[in-house]
Amino acid sequence: MSVVQNLNSSFMYMLCGSIILVVALICVLFLVRAWRAGIAIGMEKEKMRRVVVSSAAFTVLPSIGILLGVIALSGSLGVPWPWLRLSVIGALHYETQVAQAAAEASGLSALSMSQMTMGAFTTICLLMSMCIMWSLILSLIFGKAYSNRLLKVKKGSKKEGSPAGGGFGDLAMTAMFVGLISAYVGSYIGGLISGNGRFSFSGDWMPLAVAAVGALAMAVFVWLYEKKKHVWAESFSVAGSMLIAMIAAVVLKMIV
Amino acid sequence: MEEQKYLQFEKYNQTTHRIGRLACALMTVLLLGAPFVIGWRYGAMPDFGAVSRAYLAIGLVWMISSAAEFLIYFPMLGAGGSYMSFITGNIINLKLPCAVNSRDLVEVKAGTPENEIVSTISIAVSALVTITILAIGVMILIPLQPILQAPVLQPAFDNVVPALFGALAYKYYRGHLDIALPPLLVMCILFTLVPGLISSTSMMIIPSGALAILLAWLSYRKTNGGLQ
Repeated sequence: MSVVQNLNSSFMYMLCGSIILVVALICVLFLVRAWRAGIAIGMEKEKMRRVVVSSAAFTVLPSIGILLGVIALSGSLGVPWPWLRLSVIGALHYETQVAQAAAEASGLSALSMSQMTMGAFTTICLLMSMCIMWSLILSLIFGKAYSNRLLKVKKGSKKEGSPAGGGFGDLAMTAMFVGLISAYVGSYIGGLISGNGRFSFSGDWMPLAVAAVGALAMAVFVWLYEKKKHVWAESFSVAGSMLIAMIAAVVLKMIV
Repeated sequence: MEEQKYLQFEKYNQTTHRIGRLACALMTVLLLGAPFVIGWRYGAMPDFGAVSRAYLAIGLVWMISSAAEFLIYFPMLGAGGSYMSFITGNIINLKLPCAVNSRDLVEVKAGTPENEIVSTISIAVSALVTITILAIGVMILIPLQPILQAPVLQPAFDNVVPALFGALAYKYYRGHLDIALPPLLVMCILFTLVPGLISSTSMMIIPSGALAILLAWLSYRKTNGGLQ
């Protein structure tokens, strides 16, 4: 059997598919437990149903992007392993980078199926798993203690008279998210200005343009549900804005 | 009644940790074990020398990044959501915004049992939808490949993350401009002066988030009249 056949063999599909199945079962377990706990503490079923629908709608588009990552990697690593990697802990921006580094360390000049050997492949697989599993290991060792410490802080703030989780806790979460968005939007602006040399103003403008279209589309959705009272617009605002921005990327590339 | 609710939630939370830690341990064994199973099947075990060299070159960066992710995302996603997110990945571009979007949609406050439930349901559904789409996609990969890999569509899929952050920027910046503008300005200056940082944007979330939280704290103190 050639390397290509080995990487796409039924054994590989069974191995990777079994691990993905275990992950799916873990998710179902968490989902069922959370649903039951929600009912037990008096949450409305309708509210939880809205969460399910909006989360599913929200996920479809990014998942197609992740599927593209599988397709992109399948050219050098076969289909089953990228399928596993992007279903478990994987991240689009991570996999190629690590696979490339492992390929180079294995003596391949490029991450390419034509140069791949089974030894290089298992080396790449091991490195891809090792590099990204620290958050798993930290959760395993410190997750409970860290979570309990956070709960203690929240209980402390409750004693001070603020509602549990409300007040600064809520604002801090929003601020953290604002900081996260700022880092990425800042990188798009910095990339445009200095991406091809400091202050050259010739870097990649596309991410910033796409982000701007996304923001504009979101403004329209917000206007629709806040001013025009179209409730549906709220559920699809993020996914809809993303879709419009992604279409804009295609159009802009064609025009410019 | 409120006390009973918290007791019930506390019990749920402790079991969540038990299951979550067990799941993390299981996934660690499965993921580290898989390359060796493949090596055993095809008679080609991983080259530990190459793994060590590549790990020193690139693994340490991801180790620090993973530690930062653990510290930042755990409070944001809650216990159940965090365990699942760390197992299924794609946190920044999918799980986190999905959970925050759900939280906003049903208007639950961070740190409450309701938030923990909403976050867990949201991330579980998101992970299951991704797994399903990937499984279907893999099944029909061959006929689908020419359409999805059409060069004309590539700019769309190359820009999923900017599309997401653009939309979220509008949503979160409005109403919080005092918290949002300074970190944005600082990040713009940093990335412009040190363009090498662009490839490590995830690391820059820490100072950017810290600055935003500091500003939020100052704003909170100002609004609530000191440490009351």
